[in-house]
Amino acid sequence: MNMEKEKVRLEVIKGGPLRVQGNFRLVGKDLPDGTGETDIYLCRCGGSSRKPFCDGTHKRTGFAE
Amino acid sequence: MSDSRDRQYTNGEITVFWKPAKCIHATTCFRELIEVFNPGRRPWVNMNGAPTRRIIEVVNKCPTQALEWKRNEDLSPEEQEAQFLNTKEELTPETLPQGAAEPENEVVPDVQTPSATLKIMPDGPIVVEGVFSVVDGDGTTLRQTPMTSICRCGKSHSMPYCDGTHRKIGFTDEK
Repeated sequence: MNMEKEKVRLEVIKGGPLRVQGNFRLVGKDLPDGTGETDIYLCRCGGSSRKPFCDGTHKRTGFAE
Repeated sequence: MSDSRDRQYTNGEITVFWKPAKCIHATTCFRELIEVFNPGRRPWVNMNGAPTRRIIEVVNKCPTQALEWKRNEDLSPEEQEAQFLNTKEELTPETLPQGAAEPENEVVPDVQTPSATLKIMPDGPIVVEGVFSVVDGDGTTLRQTPMTSICRCGKSHSMPYCDGTHRKIGFTDEK
């Protein structure tokens, strides 16, 4: 059995959010304490109205980096 | 490892060590105790701003050991001598170049717990710890370290990493 942990993948989507994949734990104020294998998209543009998650605002505001 | 940018500060009882190379801008120190840790001031650490006990508490929360402390009676001769050398210009968590953090320890393999933890810092970055890689859209690995912090305010000059800009622009989680 492979005892090495699977790496969590953080994909920086250009002009968009951070896509997180793998076995990770997300911790923050007002967040359910969850561990999961699901993909999530975290806001990087600062403008989302459902932070820390992406709501597509970057497309509207033209987030450039 | 010693670095010419390293600093130390004392209140006569304990000494706080500041290693800029390890800082990832988690901002824990100044959110908890601005009276002591104030990046807008020079020197940025004021050891008379709070009781020793409180300073120790906050230094212990630094996620990267960029801040550490020792009782003065436990200082090495070199460290005692360095108490008097804090005259050069210093960096603060906000003037540091980003990306200086070096991998320190091997991550211990473990299948029970999540591979990595992502902490959403209030009004600040995403601090990531554990086994992870940061990749771009083509799948090219940008960074592979035991810890990093990703910008959430959209204004960092070291994208995708945090450089402390969120504090300058007053980024908030309010919706």
